Amino acid sequence: MPQKPARKFSLYAMTWRLPIIVWQLVFFVGPVLFMIAMSFFLVKNYRMTEAFEFVNWSKMMSRGYFWDSYWYTCLIAAVSTVCAMLLAFPAAFALAFRASDSTRRWAIFLLIIPFFTSYLVRTFSWFVILSESGVVNAMLGYIGLGPFTMLNTNFGTLVGYMTLTLPLVVILQTITMANIDKTLVETARNLGCKPLATIWQVILPLSKTGFIVAAIFCFILSFGDFVAPFYLGGSQEPTLPILILDTTKSGQQWPRAAVVAIIMMGTLFTIAFAGIALAYRKRKGAK
Amino acid sequence: MNSSRALNYVLAAYVVLIFAFVFAPIIFSLIFSFNSQRFPTIPLGEFSTEWYEKILADPDVWEAALNSLIVSSSTAVIATFLGFCTAYSDFRYNFRLKGPYLGLILLPPTIPLIIMALAMLAWFSKIGMSGQIYSIIIAHSVLTAPFAMAVIRLRLNQMDPDLEAAAWNLGGSEWKTMRHVIIPFCKPAIASGLFLTAAVSFDEFAVSWFVSGLNKTLPVIIMEIVQGNIDPQVNAIGTFVFLISMTLVVLAQVFFASRQLKSIRP
Amino acid sequence: MSAPLVVFDKVEKKFDDFTAVKELDFEIREGEFIAIMGPSGCGKTTTLRMLAGLEAPTSGEIRLNGQVMNDVLPHERDTPLVWQSLALFPFLTAQRNVEFGLKMRGVGKAERAERARKWLDKMGILQFADRDISTLSGGQKQRVALARSLVMEPQVLLLDEPLSALDAHLVIRMQAVLTDLQRELGITFVYVTHSQSEAFAMADRVVIMTEGEIAQIGAPKDIYRAPANQFVAEFVGRNNILSGAVEAISDDTAKITTPSGDFAVPMNEVKLAEGQRASFVISADLVHLALDKPASENAAQCKLISEEFIGSMVTLFLEDAKGHEFKVQMQERELSTFDLKSGDDVWLSWDTQSAHVLSEE
Repeated sequence: MPQKPARKFSLYAMTWRLPIIVWQLVFFVGPVLFMIAMSFFLVKNYRMTEAFEFVNWSKMMSRGYFWDSYWYTCLIAAVSTVCAMLLAFPAAFALAFRASDSTRRWAIFLLIIPFFTSYLVRTFSWFVILSESGVVNAMLGYIGLGPFTMLNTNFGTLVGYMTLTLPLVVILQTITMANIDKTLVETARNLGCKPLATIWQVILPLSKTGFIVAAIFCFILSFGDFVAPFYLGGSQEPTLPILILDTTKSGQQWPRAAVVAIIMMGTLFTIAFAGIALAYRKRKGAK
Repeated sequence: MNSSRALNYVLAAYVVLIFAFVFAPIIFSLIFSFNSQRFPTIPLGEFSTEWYEKILADPDVWEAALNSLIVSSSTAVIATFLGFCTAYSDFRYNFRLKGPYLGLILLPPTIPLIIMALAMLAWFSKIGMSGQIYSIIIAHSVLTAPFAMAVIRLRLNQMDPDLEAAAWNLGGSEWKTMRHVIIPFCKPAIASGLFLTAAVSFDEFAVSWFVSGLNKTLPVIIMEIVQGNIDPQVNAIGTFVFLISMTLVVLAQVFFASRQLKSIRP
Repeated sequence: MSAPLVVFDKVEKKFDDFTAVKELDFEIREGEFIAIMGPSGCGKTTTLRMLAGLEAPTSGEIRLNGQVMNDVLPHERDTPLVWQSLALFPFLTAQRNVEFGLKMRGVGKAERAERARKWLDKMGILQFADRDISTLSGGQKQRVALARSLVMEPQVLLLDEPLSALDAHLVIRMQAVLTDLQRELGITFVYVTHSQSEAFAMADRVVIMTEGEIAQIGAPKDIYRAPANQFVAEFVGRNNILSGAVEAISDDTAKITTPSGDFAVPMNEVKLAEGQRASFVISADLVHLALDKPASENAAQCKLISEEFIGSMVTLFLEDAKGHEFKVQMQERELSTFDLKSGDDVWLSWDTQSAHVLSEE
């Protein structure tokens, strides 16, 4: 990498360096900082006035429904993360260790596709498939089961979360495990490790960092998604994103939505940093 | 050896199952869009192009399609330009605060869209830029620039670091070297970045929905139709959206792959 | 001589269309240090991996202690392998690496730690027991890898080019460590290497492989003095190879006409017939150098091309009038009495008994 000594000022260097700084300061840092400021504004007669009051914070923090929603969102995002990690693992294992290189490349290419297709349309499709008279219940009906209520339940929400997160988690797990030095797995076998035990003894310890990154992404996506809990979960128990949606769209209570958004960001940053610290933690004895 | 072979079959079946789950909503949406039933189920109803006829006759859909086209193409150009500048700065220079500098571009995709939507909405209202088409374009550029940055940065990684110095050595100024060496070298990645950012922008609904005002894009129209009722028009629109996204993603991949092929040859 | 510990019985291994190992037939005796040597791609590593159960033979049988091993899974075998890459687990400390195999065999925690520490001590690296693998030097890692395999107290230890990643001066030291260990423990070592010096320095017997087949098996001294064929003669190096037609046969010698002249060879090992084509070798250190034509019946006049010094030994490269290359090896001290420079003419000669006829053409 060329590391030329930086001159005091170079028009050329600044031409390439400045655009993103200006753009993101105005249109990314600006909005985020303004949102934080907005959480201290007041709303009177459906109009927002600039102020520095803690009333929005104290109102939100003292509401039982906010904390119910907070813990529910954390819980269901955590359940979603565990489900995605567990469901993805056998597939990623197969793609990493049992598939040829070209099969693996194709599989990853296919799994990238959903990432760029409308999540809304896919969610709507599940809505139709999972409904009382939908495809799944019709098929179960042929073998004398059901009908089951799958929409407006936690199950529905989780199906939506999996639609969103599973492709990404499978990709990240596959890439992580495909990069493992295969001789370490063979070494374990050579030293008396049973085939499936290699997963615990060797593969997971070697995949720790990649898997934690996958889990963090999965949690962030589930935690911040409003489509699945809204359409498939029926917002029976509103998650934080739905709370933001309702507060913003119907109540014109932007400052209170900002409070929820800031708490969400704080939670996500805490979890992401904890995860990264865990991933790169050095064991005792390492120097 | 036999048990291991049996395990292979089980694993292969499981992979197929996972793919089935991932692609089921896409495939069913396609099937339903040609199905006469209002509440599609098994057995399927008759083949019908009713929903396509309906959306093609709907001026709102046409307007939204035009908006989507304008938004995604403008976003692609701005985001790819920003991505290129940042990728090149990162490749060429070391400077203080480089970490925060890269954080500026890479952070937005890690923040939930609903939060970005709220923050953008509030900020645009504050500075008097809300409810316009350009509001969506600006917001999408912030969200998609890192994707362009990533593909272009990967391409620059393959460049011999001495190539630039060699061009200076032959008498090219920095600007000329940029025009005749760096940009031609990055061309496939720039094309790939354009298609990729266009695809992401084309499907984005949360931020668009919040900041668009009356200028709805296709995903926003879908959003409004699906609120509370089943209307198979969504599947028909979805199919169009899917085809366009797929085309963009495949084009991005083609340029990405041609880039890799070229890198093999000296 | 003890009973064979390992038997390869017509073992063949195919990868798709490529045959890595063809009809392998050989035995390894208990307590033996055997080296399998050959150029890369000759099938030596595949042979070792089959013995460890990491590859399944396409046909034939591998027997360990008389038991057929073909269907025994790797983790059920007692054949620990020391890897070329060492393959130490980066997420475990040195001691935990050594304990790994014992843990897999269900050995209790306390006993595991005790046995691991005993071996780390034996290898002289007990003070690094709790260190991360990444903080150890190459030689220390090497010792951890050895301890990890030896702690299993196996009947046979497999080594796949274990010294190839080490610096030259460490290689010599580790060779001594390995031979001492092998003698002390009485464990059978199967050592795969492409390095002739490693194989000849340590092994009791050497198996030379080429293109999936055994070219020769024997003690280093025998292979060196009496290579079975042209491949081995060239692979071992330090040999002068001559070929020609058998011209005359007497009691126990034959006269062979080569482009470089007529030479006598002994016939105690290989019977030759008149008119037959034959090749023979003379080890470079058995060739005498003289300034004047010697009385010997085996003499050739050559021009000196170049010299190569390794320690106190020197190898001279020479060429005769027909362009055939000769090599002579001698002590540097000895050479200095001649006062030669490139292009000088000298005479080479050797005793008839020094020549060795190759059994296969």
